[in-house]
Amino acid sequence: MAQQRSSRMSLAGTALLAGCLLSAAGSLLHAQYPTDPPPPGELRPLQFPDFRETRLDNGLQLIVVENSRLPVVSISLNLPAGSLYDPVGLEGLADIVAELITKGTESRTAEQIAAEIEGVGGTLQATSGSDFFAVTATVLADHVGLAFDLIGDVLLHATFPESELELARTRFLSALRVDKSDPATLATRFFASEVYGAHPYGHSQTEASLAAISRSDVVSFAGMRLAPQGGLLVVAGDLSPTDAQHLAERHLGSWQGSPPEVTVPEPPAPKATEIVLVHRPGSAQSNIRVGNLALRPRDDLYYAAVVANKILGGGADARLFLKLREEKGWTYGAYSGIARRRDVGFFQANTEVRTEVTDSALTEMLRQIRRMGSEPADASELAAAKGFLVGSFPLSIQTPQQVANQVATVKLLGLGDDYLETYRERLDAVDASEAMQAAQTIMRPDNAVVIAVGDGRALYDKLAAIAPVRIVDVDGSPLTPDDLAPTATALEFDHASIVARRDSFRIGFQGNEIGYQVSEVVVGADSLLYREQMSIPMMGAQQVGTVRLDPASLAPLAVDISGQIAGQAMNTRLTYDGNHVTGYTQAPQPSGTPDSSDIDATVADGAIDLNAIQLFLPALQLADGAAFTFNAFDSSDGEPRVVTLKVSGSEEVTVPAGSFTAFRVELSGTPQPAVYFVDTAQPHRLLKIELVGQPLAFELVN
Amino acid sequence: MSRLVAGVWLLMLLGVGTANAQMQIQYEDYTLPNGLRVLLSEDHSTPVVTVNVWYNVGSRNERVGRSGFAHLFEHMMFQGSANVDKGEHFKLIERAGGDMNGTTNEGRTNYFETLPSNRLNLGLWLEADRMRALAITPENFENQRSAVKEERRLGVDNQPYAPAFTEGSTLIYDSTECFAYAHSVIGSMDDLDRAEVADVQEFFDLYYRPNNATLTVVGDFDPTEAKHLIDQYFGDIPRGADPPPVECSYSIEAGAKTRTWEDEHANLPAVIVAYRIPPHSHPDTRPLSLLATILGEGESSRLNQAMVREEKSALQAAAIPNSRRGPGMLLALAIANQGVEAATLKQQLEEQVQRIVRDGVTDAEVEKARNDFRAGYIFQSQTTMQLADRLQHYLHYHDSLDDMYGDLDKYLAVTAEDIRRVAATYLTPANSYTIIIVPKAGASEEVIP
Repeated sequence: MAQQRSSRMSLAGTALLAGCLLSAAGSLLHAQYPTDPPPPGELRPLQFPDFRETRLDNGLQLIVVENSRLPVVSISLNLPAGSLYDPVGLEGLADIVAELITKGTESRTAEQIAAEIEGVGGTLQATSGSDFFAVTATVLADHVGLAFDLIGDVLLHATFPESELELARTRFLSALRVDKSDPATLATRFFASEVYGAHPYGHSQTEASLAAISRSDVVSFAGMRLAPQGGLLVVAGDLSPTDAQHLAERHLGSWQGSPPEVTVPEPPAPKATEIVLVHRPGSAQSNIRVGNLALRPRDDLYYAAVVANKILGGGADARLFLKLREEKGWTYGAYSGIARRRDVGFFQANTEVRTEVTDSALTEMLRQIRRMGSEPADASELAAAKGFLVGSFPLSIQTPQQVANQVATVKLLGLGDDYLETYRERLDAVDASEAMQAAQTIMRPDNAVVIAVGDGRALYDKLAAIAPVRIVDVDGSPLTPDDLAPTATALEFDHASIVARRDSFRIGFQGNEIGYQVSEVVVGADSLLYREQMSIPMMGAQQVGTVRLDPASLAPLAVDISGQIAGQAMNTRLTYDGNHVTGYTQAPQPSGTPDSSDIDATVADGAIDLNAIQLFLPALQLADGAAFTFNAFDSSDGEPRVVTLKVSGSEEVTVPAGSFTAFRVELSGTPQPAVYFVDTAQPHRLLKIELVGQPLAFELVN
Repeated sequence: MSRLVAGVWLLMLLGVGTANAQMQIQYEDYTLPNGLRVLLSEDHSTPVVTVNVWYNVGSRNERVGRSGFAHLFEHMMFQGSANVDKGEHFKLIERAGGDMNGTTNEGRTNYFETLPSNRLNLGLWLEADRMRALAITPENFENQRSAVKEERRLGVDNQPYAPAFTEGSTLIYDSTECFAYAHSVIGSMDDLDRAEVADVQEFFDLYYRPNNATLTVVGDFDPTEAKHLIDQYFGDIPRGADPPPVECSYSIEAGAKTRTWEDEHANLPAVIVAYRIPPHSHPDTRPLSLLATILGEGESSRLNQAMVREEKSALQAAAIPNSRRGPGMLLALAIANQGVEAATLKQQLEEQVQRIVRDGVTDAEVEKARNDFRAGYIFQSQTTMQLADRLQHYLHYHDSLDDMYGDLDKYLAVTAEDIRRVAATYLTPANSYTIIIVPKAGASEEVIP
């Protein structure tokens, strides 16, 4: 085991000194082996390569960082055409333009473009961020002509085929659907919107905005904004400034234009701290974001702010992590960061915790943030933070591609020509008092935007004790505290719809079949059973479950589920005695040992056991706009709940069993929300099930 | 500490090749009295330095009943040593602004960190501390054995195709004649279960000795200072006994074999045709590498075009070379589309191979394969870490470090005829081992009584 490391530093230091003083004639004497990590040597000088700046006649700025160590060249063309410039109502347009620009030009198809660049072992891609749109290529020096040719071709002659737009739209809509069901992404979207207000940095893609984007919008955006004036071309690697200039003029010289000025509204003034509670009924976890607007890119406070941020939440060594995870065990991780934008950026701390400890975690986060601005950090924290920030910088500029990125950032944000040369020294010079002052400026716990995505019902009162709370649903519509506690009503079922039947579903994962489920209603003389059998071989998952119900009242009597997933048992046994349910449930855990818990709960009259929900769906009075809020018991966590089934519309659904018009029935109020598609025609067969936030779908086969 | 990647498309190609004049790596080569071989290569272009240690031990050194030890050992090496607490290696490197990791394969175990150059001493000291006094305790051993078993479970046993791939690859050579190359790097669950802490100590004592290791330092350092530090930290670590040599008898045309594998996690059939190929240092390695590119790497490869795009028989089809210090394999494989049988895949894979044997490859294909190789080789020469690994590679996988100079040119001189010749020599039925993977019967057939 490791020895105690106490005051050995001086011995190690002496040993090292002794080692260094020995002449090059060789050491005949082994210097003492140090029993402590040896201290750092002096910081080595960083000679950032010179760069040459010119401008083409069309206004395009060209920077060349020549480095002939290896015959590689990295090219990055950056334009002020990021999502900041999406017209209102067409959010996502810049991203779509980036997606489509390499999918065909007047002289090349998408396949030809891909084949040409792959044929020389190079890469070509277009991306869009908040501020900037970039086309980048990396090639061996021999093929730099081809790289410029392709970059010029896509920028000047892209055709944006309609078919590719539809493919992109479908992909983006699917991704958005997944995003909106993911609490972490919801937290990010709401944070951006609250901290930036009407400023475009706060806008996000929506279904409506993606659906509204037409090819002419794409062509118009590209035509207006992808122009040389205000653009920056960075070339790093084995190419001389003269040759770079010639290639740029040859392939981009005929490019003309200047994008229109866009006035951007002022970001909102800071307000007193407010918590926006985004209600996800039944959520077992909360995602928390705490932050505020911070610095503009050229603010000198940046260095001290970066150091302060590293100390607070910059990794597994930082305060938030050590406190919220290591000490309290509330989360897998808690971090903070500073985002830089061309306009004003922001500071944000974040974590994900269990519902029960949300208020404690938020209180602690605010306390740690406050401490940063009121107490200087101790010497070891400061040393660890600066050690990482200063030390890691040279690792980030080893290749021409990395250098091109760094130079582009410096220029696009206007950070000054000596920024890279002086970066390490300026970070190293930050002392504890400066870090504290920077924290006061950029981390403002009394003017914070706080987002908590979670179960509003469990959280509202506790969070209201910390700061004023405003409640919204996942789409941003306002809710009142009463909306959090829906009143359950007794459900009315059409008993005639509960008949013997057997339905087989195929289980798909991102469109590939991975398993099956068979659900069966068995009607006996005086018994009613609902059975479900499921198998997903690639997850090693199998399950057979039976719910026994009272045929007259439809109340649950017993539940018996046996199964396993990846070798772990997944069993549930419940017995209902009137309103009293007892038994146990086992849930698999990442550790490999399933978590077994006893169940002993009281449910309201008429409560449904959610394991049998598929039995009840056809028997509800389904109609467009109908909503059912009722008592239910969820054996997955042993909790009685009030859940809601809402018929949010009808749509065409195609499954292996055929094409149908189906009601879209959304289940909320449980840790695993779901959407059920039920045939609008009698006998209201269940056609499809989507698990919100999981890429799994169950589709009726027969 | 690295993840042994046991996913289906396990790519084990070590991009070898030599360089144009611009890429001649200059280095100094010496050996300490205790047998530690040291390679120092200065590169002052950026103030970073990589410390990279290769222990000359991999799964090929394991004995029957003791598979998985080299990889298990790699895990143990991050659990602390005499003067470094558990988890502290990572923290010290992070606080210095560095990067680190370790990897194991059949031929070596490698440990490395890249640091800002004023922290060279830290990197060297950490490597020396664990070479001299790793903390081998029952607790560390149990923890890491569980971690490795879990890694095997998650990465192999519970993944479709991975068990067939991992275990199937071990069948290509005869385990009684060449156990070294006839078992998996991650090891069998049984062997891992049977291992004891005394075995681990014995393994350390035998293989983790300075005389069985090579230390490479590449980057911005002063050679005089580096040599002093190396002497100070490593100089008095005692030499160990010379480990036994690896024994392996094999033949290339050992006879065609087929094995069918029922996979309970797969829902589509797959076929892997494995061809035996010579050790990496053999000159045929170069044309075999370009052959693999043309046959099955990327959109325009023969397998992708024929089976995925035209016939639509395969969801994915590829060719993967696994070139090792000893005998290796070249795999041609495909996963079936819905409704396609394994027999069809097998027939089409063999047909594509036959086409090359019979008609050769086109000049355009040769050019593309050369370009692709050259680009990969050059892009992998950019960082100190890449260069350190390259030096180590030539030292261990080739007959001489000098092979480094001129190797790339030899790759770029491979002709269409060379490629056809190696296809005809190695990609023959007599030299093949075919693994047919079928979804386990009965998984989807159960009927409720």
